[in-house]
Amino acid sequence: MTSPVRADTALLVQERLRKDGDDVDALFTLAALRANDGNVREGLIILDRVLRIDPRYPGAWIFKAKLHRMQGEPDQAENAQRVAEAVEP
Amino acid sequence: MSVSGGDDAEAEVVKLKICMAGETAVGKTSLIRRYVQDEYDDRYTATLGTKITKKTLSVPDPGTGKVASVSILLWDVMGTRTLRELLKEAYYHGAQGILAVADLTREETLAELDPWSRSIRFVAGDIPVYVVVNKADLESERAIDDRAIDEFCTSRGWPWSYTSAKTGEGVEPAFRALVEKVLATRA
Repeated sequence: MTSPVRADTALLVQERLRKDGDDVDALFTLAALRANDGNVREGLIILDRVLRIDPRYPGAWIFKAKLHRMQGEPDQAENAQRVAEAVEP
Repeated sequence: MSVSGGDDAEAEVVKLKICMAGETAVGKTSLIRRYVQDEYDDRYTATLGTKITKKTLSVPDPGTGKVASVSILLWDVMGTRTLRELLKEAYYHGAQGILAVADLTREETLAELDPWSRSIRFVAGDIPVYVVVNKADLESERAIDDRAIDEFCTSRGWPWSYTSAKTGEGVEPAFRALVEKVLATRA
């Protein structure tokens, strides 16, 4: 699941987080970038931060379920999927 | 999708999730902004994460024969190609229609609609697609001719039209056509 990501996306994320460390859009993207680099655990940690800031961030619970599945954590994946079904707009 | 309303006097409300698709900088965010706020900003800012914008419109519902009030949730997503596969479930779960955007001045953006469409359909099934070829105001920089667009879209069963988020040309009719197509598939 690793592939090169356009450098400008990573740079934009850094720039946005320098201005605002709680920028949820940048954090969500950073979680995806980390997972894409193979650091799924770190991606999950960042995603949890997104969900603490905005528990209804669009797509975040479904993404969390996917990352847990990738980690071989079916129970956590199922829990996240259940929350997703309840909160997704 | 949920429907409310019971008697003839009360308009039916249909909720639809419509997802944008297409490469970085084709104008996905600008099209939503033009459609919903009737505004345009020449400065390009790449979208990070996910943005949802709501819009309500009235269209004839082929399923009921009545005019339906349709509340659409427009999901604007990052065009970053390499994250598309990873985020496809997060973006496209429950989607009911796709507005696929190509850029008249970049030929490759049309062909790239195929992998976008595959990702979306993998998650959401065989949902309606409507293609817009955006930046129609940049005719002097055109990189794709009419015939190529028509052959590409027709062979896939995708209706298409030109849009310009900058001038507003074709924007409202394109969104409306997609909504009508989605409603027709429910009929």
